[in-house]
Amino acid sequence: MARLDDRGVADILAIAFMFVMLVLAAVFMHTYSLRPLRAATDRQLDLKSGHLYMTLELAWVEPYSVSFLRAATENLLIEQPTVPGPYLRSAMENAIEYFCPPGYAVAISLSHDNSSWELSWPEGVGLGVDAEKQFVRQGEARLTMAGGKNIAVPVTVRIFEITGA
Amino acid sequence: MILTKILKTLFTCILVISFLLVTVSAYQQHRTISALAELTDVTSAIVTRLSVEELVYVDNDEKLHMYSIDPAKLENCPTRWEINGKNFDFRVSVGYETGDEHVLGPYGSAPPDDRTRCSLAVACALYENGRFLPAKLSVIAWRA
Repeated sequence: MARLDDRGVADILAIAFMFVMLVLAAVFMHTYSLRPLRAATDRQLDLKSGHLYMTLELAWVEPYSVSFLRAATENLLIEQPTVPGPYLRSAMENAIEYFCPPGYAVAISLSHDNSSWELSWPEGVGLGVDAEKQFVRQGEARLTMAGGKNIAVPVTVRIFEITGA
Repeated sequence: MILTKILKTLFTCILVISFLLVTVSAYQQHRTISALAELTDVTSAIVTRLSVEELVYVDNDEKLHMYSIDPAKLENCPTRWEINGKNFDFRVSVGYETGDEHVLGPYGSAPPDDRTRCSLAVACALYENGRFLPAKLSVIAWRA
């Protein structure tokens, strides 16, 4: 140990350790400082998801006086819905394309018993169930059938990050 | 031997100075990021308040239709709000598509070039001519 001190190796080791600590501290401080901004951006996307759900529940499928979610529920449950299936898909795709945040995809799904109604934009991205970053809003659409039976259909609106975007 | 000692002392001084500079830089970045995060949250708060309170369509039975925008309220909406004891200005517009894209507004003063701004666009329903149209509520906010 005395020989190491004589050669100054202990001092060099101390300086090298300080250098490593400096690099680690710099990386840690700069990485950690971005977290609040990422969290705030995620909160905005969560807000967008909620607004999209409410909009689909309220806004009408032109020229019909029926909301998007109501029309989708009718398409799922009854044989002759107010809005024909292909027209609803086209109108909803146009609306979602208008609202979809860049770099993200939107998926809407309704299910009842063993049947389901699904739509996603851009085409072919799937429902994003396994997406790493996703903002989900779930609710219920209700429809009263001809016999007076009230059926509740679970609705999921999901905004998710497109992998590799 | 003296030269070695001088070099060691010099390296130590450089490391200490570097550490101080990195700490100051990280603190400044933290302050900038915190201000940006605050502005982002304030923009979200403005959008929420506009869509559930200020611009909400109220029907003849005084029933509030949250997330439905009444275009008549856009023009008279104040565009400077105090949030958490700080004043924020914003510019609001509502866009919708009926074949072509239409934009109502923008309402509010133009955002200054020398300030940090945050923009947010969310989906909403626009009540126009007795119909609820899918529309986009856009807000650009900055610190007054």
